[in-house]
Amino acid sequence: MSRLSAVKPAYWIAGVLLAATVIAPLIVSTYAKAEPRLWGFPFFYWYQLLWVVLSVFTVGIAYKLVMGEERKRRAAQGLGDPDKPAKEADR
Amino acid sequence: MNHTVDWVQLSVVVVIFAAVTVMGFMAARWRSTGDLDNLDEWGLGGRGFGTFITWFLLGGDLYTAYTFIAVPAAMYATGAVTGFFAVPYTIVVYPLIFVFMARLWSVSHRHGYVTPADFVRGRYGSRWLSLAVALTGILATMPYIALQLVGMQAVFETMGLGGDNLLAKDLPLLIAFAVLAAYTYSSGLRAPAMIAFVKDGLIYLVIAVAILYLPSALGGWDAIFGAAEQKLTTENPATGKPVGSFIPGATGYSAYWTLALGSALALFMYPHSVTAVLSTKTRNVVRRNAAILPAYSLLLGLLALLGFMAIKANVDIKGLDGLPNPQLAIPRLFDQEFPSWFAGIAFAAIAVGALVPAAIMSIAAANLFTRNIYKEFLKKDASPAQEAKVSKLSSLLVKFGALVFVLGMDKTISLNLQLLGGIWILQTFPAIVVGLFTRWFHKWALLAGWAIAMIYGTIEAYNVVNPATGKHFGGSVANIPFTDTTAYIGLIAFALNLVIVIVLTLILRALKVADGDDTTHASDYTADRGDPGVHDLPDLLDEGGAAPAKS
Repeated sequence: MSRLSAVKPAYWIAGVLLAATVIAPLIVSTYAKAEPRLWGFPFFYWYQLLWVVLSVFTVGIAYKLVMGEERKRRAAQGLGDPDKPAKEADR
Repeated sequence: MNHTVDWVQLSVVVVIFAAVTVMGFMAARWRSTGDLDNLDEWGLGGRGFGTFITWFLLGGDLYTAYTFIAVPAAMYATGAVTGFFAVPYTIVVYPLIFVFMARLWSVSHRHGYVTPADFVRGRYGSRWLSLAVALTGILATMPYIALQLVGMQAVFETMGLGGDNLLAKDLPLLIAFAVLAAYTYSSGLRAPAMIAFVKDGLIYLVIAVAILYLPSALGGWDAIFGAAEQKLTTENPATGKPVGSFIPGATGYSAYWTLALGSALALFMYPHSVTAVLSTKTRNVVRRNAAILPAYSLLLGLLALLGFMAIKANVDIKGLDGLPNPQLAIPRLFDQEFPSWFAGIAFAAIAVGALVPAAIMSIAAANLFTRNIYKEFLKKDASPAQEAKVSKLSSLLVKFGALVFVLGMDKTISLNLQLLGGIWILQTFPAIVVGLFTRWFHKWALLAGWAIAMIYGTIEAYNVVNPATGKHFGGSVANIPFTDTTAYIGLIAFALNLVIVIVLTLILRALKVADGDDTTHASDYTADRGDPGVHDLPDLLDEGGAAPAKS
């Protein structure tokens, strides 16, 4: 438990978001039906397309969270910004 | 049967093809940071791609004739279970790569790994396991390239090229292939990256017009779904079962989600996906892309529904050889519903959209051969120029291998070609992805699990016989052993693989059988650009060490 609780909340939230994005579209029984329809699309079809849009947000939020932590970790270790690497560091 | 060539369509396609070919040759000088005779420069584009180019490169990589031809064809022929699973597949894949691909980037850039087999070699210290991964990558890429060829073939056939004799039918295919081979040979990964912009522009144009225009021309979405439901729920007189599935019934759930999950796990094991990820500039470019790539998934979902539109539009899918070919559904739909010049643009988009990934795939497979088979087993002291030469030649050979798949396999449902590749490539997942997180698996356990799963998956796939044509490799779904539940063979084999690896690892560890040396360190997996020991290619060149892999 001590190792688990050491994981930062940002990673927890990102993990849950990513896991939900993997699991929800795979539970077919929750959406294998025709009603309610939307613009002529049966539920089965529009619900999955809706998840495509949702996944942009879940993965996007996970990215923000993980990047925030990664920047903190790199700052704590005294590492530079990977987008503007100091040339000397390579040598 | 329409044997006349549509000259308007053909001219449009030829002009766009010519423009793309010129761009390909020009790409040899674009963003050049080094010498194309060096393998990394030719095969990884110098590893300097940012978020924007990577988005196009990965898009060009992942959304291919699979998206434009195979998925809609499957929707047209048998409906949701065999076709629409591609939507959850492309949703599920991005959270997965978000989690593991950044680690692969880091460890590869610290150790100079160019292929997944390089990583396995360094992580497990086993050249045999590395060989297994390399061979699987090359083998699995061939049917995937074959799928691209089938897509191009469908387009050319719709334009009226070819005939019923074998040579006339395959001639346009061979010409397209020669063009692809020529510019891939001369400019490496940069050509496809540059062409991907054109391709995506064309595809977006075509899909926008198709989605806005076709539904109203065909009587609205209600009518389209209605026609699809009617066709797919009709009983097939030969089997006494419905033709397909409109909305999967309870017995179809397991096939649907295992196809989606199996395809998602497999996608980033392909050497070409790894190549694209490794050619990014920093560790997190691929994560940023995981959040923006779903734009393509939306496209894929809408393209899939074109299959239903083809049902509503009653397109004629009889090929020039007189046999029905569902792959023709989408090109024929465009041919029937659009003016010739616009159909030509759409066909060019599909053809270029098949060429780009075929180029990337063959380059990646060639990299695998050169680094992990040629250099490791055949000629250890190969010079960088020799390496690049072998790589270019083997990329040609891989394309010929793909031709063999096109000519030899049952193409009724071309989606199966990709799923067959998936069955094989998925078996490298335990060594690669699990290896990114833990070194617990024993190298011999991984090799045994891989071998048994490869054999099992191939036999199971061989045993699926297409009832219509009587050919083997007719599908990718089979019963889970000892049950009546159907699932994707690739995922069943993968589960078997994992069980074997875990059990054997426990046994080998208990017996204290020697394991290989791990040359990587925990800190390698989180390193980023600019950190000590992390190299861009030009730095390696400057140091005079042209072969960046640690041997």
